[in-house]
Amino acid sequence: MRERRFLHTIPWMQQLFIAFFYLLYLASILTPGYASAHGGVVLEDDLCVINVGFYQAHFTIFQPINTQHEQFCEDLPGTGESVFVLEYLHDGLEQLPVDFRIIRNVTGMGLFAGVNDVEALGDLDVVTEFYHPPVTEPDAFAVLHEFAEPGAFIGIVTAVHPDTDTLYTAVFPFEVGAFGLNYPLIAVGVVLGLLAVLAVSSRWRSGGATVATLCAGLLLPMTADAAEIEDVVSADGYYRVTAISRIHPLAINQMHAWELQVFDRSGQPVINANISVSGGMPAHDHGLPTDPRITRELGEGRYLLEGVKFHMRGAWELYVLIDATGRPDTATLSLEL
Amino acid sequence: MRIFLTLTALVAAIALWWWIFPPHPGWSEDELVSIQNIWLESLPALPDDPTNSVADDADAQILGHRLFFDLRMSATGTTSCATCHQPQRGFSDGLALSVAIGQTKRNAPGIAGLAWSPWLYWDGRKDSLWAQALSPLEDAVEHGGSRLMFAHLIHTDEPYRALYEKVFGPLPALDDRSRFPIAGGPLASDEGRAAWDAMDPDDQREINRLFSNLGKAIAAYERLLVHGSSRFDRYVAELMETGDSEQLAGSELRGLRLFINEANCTQCHNGPLLTNNAFHNTGLLSLPGKLPDIGRSAGLRKVRDDEFNCLGPYSDNPTVCDELVYAGSGKENVGAMKAPSLRNLADTQPYGHAGQFATLGEVLDHYNEAPDAMIGHNEAKPLDLWPWQVVDLEAFLLTLQAPLATDPSWLEPPDQ
Repeated sequence: MRERRFLHTIPWMQQLFIAFFYLLYLASILTPGYASAHGGVVLEDDLCVINVGFYQAHFTIFQPINTQHEQFCEDLPGTGESVFVLEYLHDGLEQLPVDFRIIRNVTGMGLFAGVNDVEALGDLDVVTEFYHPPVTEPDAFAVLHEFAEPGAFIGIVTAVHPDTDTLYTAVFPFEVGAFGLNYPLIAVGVVLGLLAVLAVSSRWRSGGATVATLCAGLLLPMTADAAEIEDVVSADGYYRVTAISRIHPLAINQMHAWELQVFDRSGQPVINANISVSGGMPAHDHGLPTDPRITRELGEGRYLLEGVKFHMRGAWELYVLIDATGRPDTATLSLEL
Repeated sequence: MRIFLTLTALVAAIALWWWIFPPHPGWSEDELVSIQNIWLESLPALPDDPTNSVADDADAQILGHRLFFDLRMSATGTTSCATCHQPQRGFSDGLALSVAIGQTKRNAPGIAGLAWSPWLYWDGRKDSLWAQALSPLEDAVEHGGSRLMFAHLIHTDEPYRALYEKVFGPLPALDDRSRFPIAGGPLASDEGRAAWDAMDPDDQREINRLFSNLGKAIAAYERLLVHGSSRFDRYVAELMETGDSEQLAGSELRGLRLFINEANCTQCHNGPLLTNNAFHNTGLLSLPGKLPDIGRSAGLRKVRDDEFNCLGPYSDNPTVCDELVYAGSGKENVGAMKAPSLRNLADTQPYGHAGQFATLGEVLDHYNEAPDAMIGHNEAKPLDLWPWQVVDLEAFLLTLQAPLATDPSWLEPPDQ
């Protein structure tokens, strides 16, 4: 009798367990950090994005000593060493001198302080907590500041266009230390969590699995012999590309060349085309370890692509952008190593 | 009832045991290929270095060996290459950040097997062993010297002078101190820099040539430092010959299985030296008080501007520079560091480009979790391994331990 009751409880226990972990997970992503965007920083696809004029940058704060890898958009859980990282999403910002200032928030506007409120303060030096003079950084702009005490602050990022003297400014108020949980978002999280439990425990699961399997099937590479990729049609159908590796079989960690054969719709060779090649591993979110280039046209629509290297096994893609007679079009070559 | 419960508990215990310690079921065809790929016997022959015409010259090796261990190769007389690259510690130093004249910004890696790498340094800011060897000599916190200072040392020390001239031909007229001041170089501080700037450009080139030759001799020596056959390699040899081997067991075999399969290690640590010598952002934390390291992105700019690179005037063959010419410049270079070899890991702790991890266990925990990178994007994905699987991986990694396949006399300071 006792065993039977125990067995009966298993689906319930499973669902409780799943619900519990979902809630834990949601609480962890919805509480401080991601949940606290305001002012000049907006959340876009889980990124903290800052707008400096029309330039955009990814903005994150870390407190590596206290919270290791945890990212914060604005409000910081504690005082101490804080690393502000600004990564440019927009081409152009890396060519402008960018400076970074943190002032104590004495605007009286709290978390709603804006550019006008900061300008109204006049001399910022008297309220400045930290200042990093303008620098031009090609990759990312990172600064480190140690907050001694909790409080309300405003971050100010300024970029000056060297030719036009135009000033681009982003202002974002934030708090350091001692702030509570974000209850409305947790409530949303609880609802989402319950929905997720329903989804997991109902028929949706098998449906989802079928869709996932179908998607995986569609994503499988289309080519069997990786050293030769035959007759790939470009996205808009203008060109057909065949690629033949100069090394057989293909190998990792070896610099090598490919021959690309480019034909038009009617099968005629395409000559004098501008071709550029990029690529990467879609599953790993990274590009090629090299920047390959077309170094020679070999005649009859054949082009020599040099400087190709693959440094991992797995599924790779090469994107061949072809432009002949003003018709740019990209052929995607898939290969498995 | 009680018997039923006892039996259930027993079955559960056995199932748990099999889950944590699964018996070794043998290898599939694909797994055998993966295992052979990381076997030392699959390593191609020592690659030529056409940019260094004395790369395999016996006298250059002797000269390089002396230079490598010579404390006079520093401004203070206290630092040699072997200060941070100690043979008994896998040619590293056991410190998180190396200490020579001052403290460096990065961890000193082991240097065996680097002749197979197209890039040197964590950020790949050098593209040959010889160009790399020059950099610490003039770094203020490492050897703190200047190229003129080293030129005069070679010139005034009779054995050095004889050996140098045997390998590279006559030295410049270094007796003429008006043409060749006793110290200085383009990277030196004020006084040394001024002395260098006052020199005739032809004389500067002569000194640069001499200085690059010292790097080429050190590189010739370093090319002798090659990995030896480990217990793992003996395992593979026996496996290939007889289909079975007792060299690895239990936890080590389970670790090997994880290594080539679900732990994704061979994505970057592939090939017989267990590195693809390429750059990856794996989200290591910056040290307290330090900004996150830009890594390869900055390294690529430096190597392109380096006068001692493959394409430069001191390269012995600037026509064979595909690695430099086609070096990838994508965004993923931000925060990326070179994947190190995993051979002889037990000798080279702590780990990480700034020595962030004291133990292998900490490294593996980091990759198991794959947390967000502070700068750029962490390429690694969380592995979600169980704690005992992490222990198995570590057990396997420690089977890659082996003495170098190098004559022991090269691993000690030379008799002079």
